[in-house]
Amino acid sequence: MTRLLTRRLVAIPVTLLAVSVLVFLATEVLPGDVARTVLGREASDASVADLRRSLGLDEALPVRYAHWLARFVHGDWGTSYTLKVPVRELVLGRLGNSLLLAAFAFLLLVPIALGLGLLAGLHHDKPTDRVISVVGLALGATPEFVTGVILLVVFAVQLKWFPASAQANPGAGLLVRLDHLVLPAVSLVLLCTGYVARHVRASTVAAVESPYVRAAELRGASRSQVVRRHVLRNSTVPATSALGVQAQFLIGGLVAVELLFNYPGVGALLLQSAIDKDLPTLQAAAVVLGLLYMLIMLLVDVTYRLLDPRLRREVPA
Amino acid sequence: MADHAHPFTPSRRGFLAGAGLTGLSLLAAACSSGTPPSSGSSEATAPAGAAKRGGTLRVGTPAPPTSLDPVTMYDGSAIGIVQLVADYLIWLDPDFTLVPRLAQSWSAGPGNKVWTFVIRKGVVFSDGTPLDAKAVKASFDRLLDPKAKSAALSAFDGILAAGGVSLRGEDTVVFTLERAFSDFPYLVSAGNYNAVILKSDYAGNFAKNPIGTGAFLLKSYNASTGATLVRNPKHWETAKPYLDGVQVKFYADSQAEQIALQSGDLDALIITDPSVILATGDVVLDKVSGTAMTAFTLRVDKAPFDKKEVRQAIAYALDRPGVNQSIDNNIGQLGNDHLFAPLFKAAPTGIAQRTQDADKVKQLLSSAGVDKLSFTLTFDPPSKSYALVIQDQLKQVGIDVKLDQRSSSEFYGGDQAKDTPWLFTDANLVGWAGRAVPSQFLGPMVTSKGVWNGSKYANPALDAALTAYDAGSSEDVRKKQAEIIATALHEDVPVILSIWNGSVRAYNKTKFTGIKAHPSTYVDFSSVSRV
Repeated sequence: MTRLLTRRLVAIPVTLLAVSVLVFLATEVLPGDVARTVLGREASDASVADLRRSLGLDEALPVRYAHWLARFVHGDWGTSYTLKVPVRELVLGRLGNSLLLAAFAFLLLVPIALGLGLLAGLHHDKPTDRVISVVGLALGATPEFVTGVILLVVFAVQLKWFPASAQANPGAGLLVRLDHLVLPAVSLVLLCTGYVARHVRASTVAAVESPYVRAAELRGASRSQVVRRHVLRNSTVPATSALGVQAQFLIGGLVAVELLFNYPGVGALLLQSAIDKDLPTLQAAAVVLGLLYMLIMLLVDVTYRLLDPRLRREVPA
Repeated sequence: MADHAHPFTPSRRGFLAGAGLTGLSLLAAACSSGTPPSSGSSEATAPAGAAKRGGTLRVGTPAPPTSLDPVTMYDGSAIGIVQLVADYLIWLDPDFTLVPRLAQSWSAGPGNKVWTFVIRKGVVFSDGTPLDAKAVKASFDRLLDPKAKSAALSAFDGILAAGGVSLRGEDTVVFTLERAFSDFPYLVSAGNYNAVILKSDYAGNFAKNPIGTGAFLLKSYNASTGATLVRNPKHWETAKPYLDGVQVKFYADSQAEQIALQSGDLDALIITDPSVILATGDVVLDKVSGTAMTAFTLRVDKAPFDKKEVRQAIAYALDRPGVNQSIDNNIGQLGNDHLFAPLFKAAPTGIAQRTQDADKVKQLLSSAGVDKLSFTLTFDPPSKSYALVIQDQLKQVGIDVKLDQRSSSEFYGGDQAKDTPWLFTDANLVGWAGRAVPSQFLGPMVTSKGVWNGSKYANPALDAALTAYDAGSSEDVRKKQAEIIATALHEDVPVILSIWNGSVRAYNKTKFTGIKAHPSTYVDFSSVSRV
C-alpha cells in the first residue's frame, strides 16, 4: 500500500505537467484569436494587436508557457483573458458547483445501482434480472440531454414540482441548492445506473455460484445471512472501479447536463475557455480536473485493496 | 425555502414555499416625446395610467462572452445589463424615434457639421455626483481614444475624431464633425451602444464600480451566473422604475432558457431567437421589425462573381418568403438587395421587389457564359440555418453550393486587411446587428474605402451619393440620394439581402406588463410593472 501511494504521488505532478504542456500546445493549433474575441469583430486591427501585446500573446510559445508555469506553481493562476476575473476564483467556484452536483448524484446512484445490481444478480436469468438489465441498458444508451428534456418538460413545465434551472439564486442555502439539483441528478442517475448495476450483477452471479457461498448454504446459513455476509462484500468490490469511472465523469464530463439545466459547472467552463482560447482559465481547469481524476483513481485503488485482502498481499505490478 | 416561484401541487406543498412579493401602490408614469434627427427636446412627464410598483423581474440571457465593460462591450447581454445601469444622451425607440434622455435638447449648425447638445439638469450619478457636460465630453473622448479599444471608434470613423468634442459652459457639449452628417444624433444615441455616459474618472471594471445614471443599480455581478439589480432611488425620472429590481440569469443554452420561461422560473428573455420560440401558455411574444440581417456577400473581384449577371442570377434564385419562414419565423421583412431596411426613413419605395424567377436565372447565367455554377459558401454557426436554406434553394435551379462552416473565432479571426475569412472568402454569410442609420451599413460595407467591404465592391457614384446623403439636410435630398445608392446596389448585387430580421421578446403575460421587443434587443425596463 505504501509503495502504491508513493508511486502515485510521484506520478501525479509529472502527469499534470504533461497535461499542461499538451493543453498549451493544443490551444496554439486551434483557430481563432482571443484578442478578437474580447474586442469583437468591429474593433480595429490596431486595437486587437495592442491587446495581444498587453496579454503577452506576441511572445514565443516556450516563453509564454514558462511564464504561466512559474506563476501557477507560485499560486498565481492569473486573470481570465475574456472575463477579466481571477482564474482561481472562477475555476474553484465552478468546480465547487460540479462537486456538489456530482456528490448529490453519487449519493443517489450508489444505493440504487448497488441494490438493482444485487437484485438482478440474485435473480439472474429471471424476469426481474431481465427487466433491470434491459431498462438499465436502454437508459444508459439514452443521452442525458434526452432524458433531461423529458424530466424538465414533465416535472418542471407541466407538474412544476422542481425548478427548471439547477442554479439557485445567490445566497441560497444548501437545501434550496439541492432542490434545484434534483432533476439533473436524476438524469445522471438514469444514465449511470445501468453501467454500475451490470458490474454488480455480474459479480453477484459469480459470488452466488462460488464454492464459499455453497459451503455457507450447506452449513445451514439463511439466505439473508449468505447475502449479507458473503455475497454483498464480494459483489461490491468490482463495482468500486465502475463507480470510480462514473465519479470522474460526474465531476468534469457533464457539459450537456450543465447546459440543459443551466448549471455553472467546470465542464462547461472548460469547453468555453477552449473555444475562446482563454488559456489561463483552460490551463487551470484542465490541471485541477486532471488532479481530481488522478486522486479519484488513487482512492479507487486504495478502496479496492481495503475491500479485497488478497490485493494487499500482492506486490503491485 | 425555494427561491423559485411557481404554483404548487399537493405533493410538493410540504417541501416548498413560494416567494412573497410586495404590496401595491399607484403612481403616475412619465413619458417621453420623440424628436426629429436634427433637433430635439423633452419636458413631457405625464401620468400613464395605473402601474403597480414593486416586484422583481427575472430575466434570462446568454452569458456575456467578455467582461462587463460599457466601452468595449458588443454582445446583447452585456449591452442589456449596462443599459439598465447607465443611460445615453438619447434613447432609440423601437420605431427608431430619438427620445431625449440625458440630453435635454440638441441642434445642428448650418451644414450639419457642428452639433450642440444641452445636458439635462438635475441628473446625478448613482454615487451622488451631478451629471455635467464634462462627464459627457469625457465619455466621448474615451470612445474616440484608440487606447480604449472601443468598437464605437468604427462608428465615428471619418465623422468625429479625437479632439472634436468641446464644452460650452457647464451644461452644453459641442461636437465638431470631420464632415457633414445629418444623422449624427443617432451616433450619440443608444444606436451606438457603447455611447453610455459614464463618470469622467471611469477607469474600467464596471462590474465592481457600476456607477451610472440608469434606472437600476447593479448590486452584484457574477460572470458565470448573472446579475442582481435594484431600483435606483436617485433616478432622474423620479417616478420610474416601477420595479424593485431585476434578476438576470445567464444561460448557455437557448433551449434551457425557454424551458425556464415556460416553467415559470423566468419572467422574460432579453434575447429571443425568433426561429425557435413559440408563444405557448402564459408565454407571449412582442415582435418588432428590425434592421439586423445576414449579408450574403459575393466577391465582385473574383470569378465567378466578377460577372454581374452571375450575382443577379443567385439573387433571383432565392425564395425570400421561404427564407423568412425558415429562419425568422415569418417576422422578418423582405430584403431587396440594398442596404436600406424598411424601418429607415429614407428607404426607397420605387424599386421593384426582387422575387424568385428560375427562367431569369437561366437567362442570366447563359448571358454570363456560365454552364454550371458551383461555389463554396463560408459561414459561422449562427448562419448555419440560412446556409442550408440557400444551398437547398439554389440546388433547385441547378446551382451547386458547397458549405464551409467555420467556428466563429476562426471566421472572424485573422487580419482584416488581408486574410480574415469573413472579408476575404469568395462567398460568405455575415450576421450584422441592427444599425440605427443606413450609413452605418453602407459606409463600411460597400463604399470603396469601407473597412468591412467583403465584396470588394467599388463604385465612385455610390460613394458620392452616400456623402451627399450624409450631408443632406432635407428628407427630399436624402431620399433622392438613397434612391441612387439603393438602385446601384440592387443592380450590381455585391450583397444579397433576403430578409431584414425581426426582433422578438418573450415574456410571461400573467406577471409583468410593459416588456417590449426592440429591433436591436436593447433593454429598457423602466416602464415595466406588475400585472
